[in-house]
Amino acid sequence: MALSKTSTKAEAGRYGVLIVLSIYCLMPFVWLLVAAFDTNAGLFLETPDSVSLNNFYRVFAEEDGLRWLINSLIVCGGATLIVMLLSGFGGYALSRTNAWWKRPFLYSIILIRVIPPPALIVPLYQVMLALNNGMRWLVLQVVPREHMRDVMQIVGFIDGYLGLILLLATMHLPLALWIMKTYFDSVSPEYEEAAVMDGATFGQRLRRVLLPLAMPGLAASGLFAFIACWDDFLVPLTFVSSPELRMLPIGIFSAFLRANEIDYGLLAAIAIVYTAPAIIAFVLARRFLVQTFGGGLKG
Amino acid sequence: MKTKLMVSAIALASFGATNVWADTVRIAEHRQARIDALNAVVPMIEEQTGIDIEVIEYPGPDKEYISKLLTELRAGTGPDVFSLPSSGEIVDFSTAGYLVDVTAEVKGSDAWDNMFPIARELAETDGVIYTMPTMLAMQQFYFRNDVLTEAGVSTDQPADWDALINRAIEAKEKTGEYSLLMPMGVTWGGGTYIESFRLLLANSSTPELVTENGTFNLTSDGVREVFEFYQKMIEAEVVPVDPLLGPDPWVIPKYEMFPAGELLMTTCGSWCYIFDWGPESKNPIPDIENAVGTWKVPNVNGDAPSVLVNLNHPWMVSSSAVDIEASKKVLAAMGSIELMTSYAQKSGNLPSRADAIESDGFQQLTALVPLLDQLEDGRSVATAPGFSTVMEGIGRGSEALLLGNADAAGAQQILVDYVSNILGEDMVE
Amino acid sequence: MLVLPSAILLFAFVLYPSGVAIYTSMTNLSLTGPAALNPRFIGFDNYTKLFSDHTFWRSLVITFWFVLFSAIIGQLVLGLLSAILLKRQFALRPFFNAIILMPNAVPGVVAALMWSSMLASGEYGTLNKIVAWFGVDPQRWLVTFPLSMIIVVNIWRGIGFAMILMNSGLSAISEELYEAARMDGATTWQAFRKITLPLLVPTIFLYLLVSTVTTIAIFALIYALTRGGPAGATEIVGIYIYNQSFGSYQLGYGSAIAVVLLIFSLIIGTFYVRALKVEV
Repeated sequence: MALSKTSTKAEAGRYGVLIVLSIYCLMPFVWLLVAAFDTNAGLFLETPDSVSLNNFYRVFAEEDGLRWLINSLIVCGGATLIVMLLSGFGGYALSRTNAWWKRPFLYSIILIRVIPPPALIVPLYQVMLALNNGMRWLVLQVVPREHMRDVMQIVGFIDGYLGLILLLATMHLPLALWIMKTYFDSVSPEYEEAAVMDGATFGQRLRRVLLPLAMPGLAASGLFAFIACWDDFLVPLTFVSSPELRMLPIGIFSAFLRANEIDYGLLAAIAIVYTAPAIIAFVLARRFLVQTFGGGLKG
Repeated sequence: MKTKLMVSAIALASFGATNVWADTVRIAEHRQARIDALNAVVPMIEEQTGIDIEVIEYPGPDKEYISKLLTELRAGTGPDVFSLPSSGEIVDFSTAGYLVDVTAEVKGSDAWDNMFPIARELAETDGVIYTMPTMLAMQQFYFRNDVLTEAGVSTDQPADWDALINRAIEAKEKTGEYSLLMPMGVTWGGGTYIESFRLLLANSSTPELVTENGTFNLTSDGVREVFEFYQKMIEAEVVPVDPLLGPDPWVIPKYEMFPAGELLMTTCGSWCYIFDWGPESKNPIPDIENAVGTWKVPNVNGDAPSVLVNLNHPWMVSSSAVDIEASKKVLAAMGSIELMTSYAQKSGNLPSRADAIESDGFQQLTALVPLLDQLEDGRSVATAPGFSTVMEGIGRGSEALLLGNADAAGAQQILVDYVSNILGEDMVE
Repeated sequence: MLVLPSAILLFAFVLYPSGVAIYTSMTNLSLTGPAALNPRFIGFDNYTKLFSDHTFWRSLVITFWFVLFSAIIGQLVLGLLSAILLKRQFALRPFFNAIILMPNAVPGVVAALMWSSMLASGEYGTLNKIVAWFGVDPQRWLVTFPLSMIIVVNIWRGIGFAMILMNSGLSAISEELYEAARMDGATTWQAFRKITLPLLVPTIFLYLLVSTVTTIAIFALIYALTRGGPAGATEIVGIYIYNQSFGSYQLGYGSAIAVVLLIFSLIIGTFYVRALKVEV
């Protein structure tokens, strides 16, 4: 502690504890990093006989690694964009309005945030099923039958991009709305008023004043949505079936389920491909963490 | 909000909307060996039927495979043609409306006329056929002939269950290795029933689970005897408990310990001669035909022993198949000798067609040929709707035994409680 | 107008499904068998069954221990400890900071994969090799101590987040207070108890609520590591819902559990709003 007299004993104690904690935090990574480069990796940590990038090569050459990565990026990217868009407008409106529904709406957002996703997975499955059948009917009206399957993979609600994106966006929308609402609360309306005085249209105000002002807030809400979406496993597990739509978490899980012979080197390589973007996003998002959870939720 | 309500309303209204046709039939297959076997004959089926086929990989473990299939079938997005691990699950799928009646196609195919009687018997329920049987799984005990002989342990057919467990204890004493494995626990999925419980139950004093009125008799002496046998195995420490509790419980005992001579007896099917320890294995046992022998499953009271026969991954057509007629056509073509031989070569199950035996491809599988004689002693255990639940309950009961949380009576109680909880008290005798 | 799209999505994917959950929980809907084709309305039968289902109660108890030990105790204590140790500037500070934060960024499925190697049974498992230095025999970690192990894994994942929050709480405490305490001859421990802790209470409270909510919702980590086993020992309520619904195929029964969990969550949420005096 800052208060303590900086004796060598206290310093040694500080380093001792920190080193133990660091070992705890780092140890599990060791196997992953070693196995990913080991041409003959197993479940156990061992010194590799030969080191190569072969496992990574195989993720993309033998497995559909590239497709999984792209699918993850499409779905989470799409969901993030929607979240940013909706939370930007929604947060702005929530911050500026004084309508009767403001309070109930904000309270219900908080309540929605605490619902654990597993509690909703079964009814979501049924709702998505119904939406999917509705969409199939719509698609049937306009698309020739032989393209049905391809089109449904894009606009379907079960086993389709649209459903995945909308669902994941919705799951992470409450936090983003809250962040943006709080954010706009802290931005004085004077800037806008000045713009209005200058005779700017809403479009101009949006582009010149609001958007630049909102950028940090949008970045925070977008990053959090992306991280949460990237981490999500339950939704793809339940709603993705065709190999064309498989995402990274499911790619890993299915490689893990190759019952008879699990290829740990390959698995570790996929895991690293999957983890890297998450770490990058996390590093970027770090500086928003405190203000979001510290201030944001408190309101 | 109104828009969404409307979409939902439309969706509900069109719930039963008919599907569309396509010229590709999607077949679900899982596990590399089986995928290879199927891929080998796909060009032939395509040529025969004029229909394009796409093979889609599904999760390996049967439990995850079935969960995935079910969520998809219900959503109407599943594969057109798929298989289920055994005949045990078929009735739960057909009563849920997921399967197409293929009686005409199967009976009309030349496969049907050449099928072993037991395959026909297992495929047909109340005159309706939902599946094209292709492979038969024949299960019994497999043992390390070489290791046991060297240790001076008898390799004669054990006369009854006591003889079997005593043999295992003796083998453990003389070699110091684990001596007897039977699948138990939840993570082995259906295997806990199909490759283990069923073998003993069929040779217990009450060999059936399903009563005449379709309920389950789980409090029977037979069920108790099986759990008691498990308990003896665990108490005598002849069974390696650790691996059975982890995920993928079969990997260590079957693919590593048995080939290394660290496990001496196990239940298995004919595939063990090919896939687990034979030519398709990563750890093949040299001279497998002499190194590994088989015993039929002894009877609890010393009556005639038997082997257990079941349909292995019979094929069926999804009722939400994009093109049901094309899928049926593909299904009919899947009853070919070539497909059965291909699966026999890769995964080691036995063809359900008698005339497939004569084919060169099968005759080359020298380890499998002699097993066919035993098909005549083959027995099976009847199933009824709700059977998947019974299988899961057996997994839970045996897992409690493994963990030492329950004795045989406790395990049986867990089974009874689980099934009555899920299916209702009136389904349990 | 600008809020409408959000409202529609939230309605379609949260509120409406909640309604569906309540309805489904009163049917015997199943994924297999005749009840898949023609589910029956069975009123409150699922709930009566639920209250006498000891595996349900057990999963609630498991959830409670899981949240208590991993989020409330483990992550908080270690997070606070790291925040205090890293409060002052020193050469290796960014280095330690990054290490402690790293597990936080790892997706749940990957964390499960990493720990399945750490906790592997047999003498070659990493943790077994480590404890062997201390003369401990190889353990079957995930079999003998399954719940403790997933707690250890979850603590590992959450220290970083707790540390960041605690850090922000600590930095808000004026240095002058400590100066004054030192003048009065207070020991480090006294200063911690009399100054740090009381002033951190709001931060700790906020952290507890956030982490309780996220810990209850954990799915990927446990599902990929143990699927809730062995013998249901790690089946927290979310996993239990999934296993009942998609493992035992009982959608109706699974929904009844889901409704109970929903109600629990709403109670926590209301408490949240009240206790933090959220201003809107």
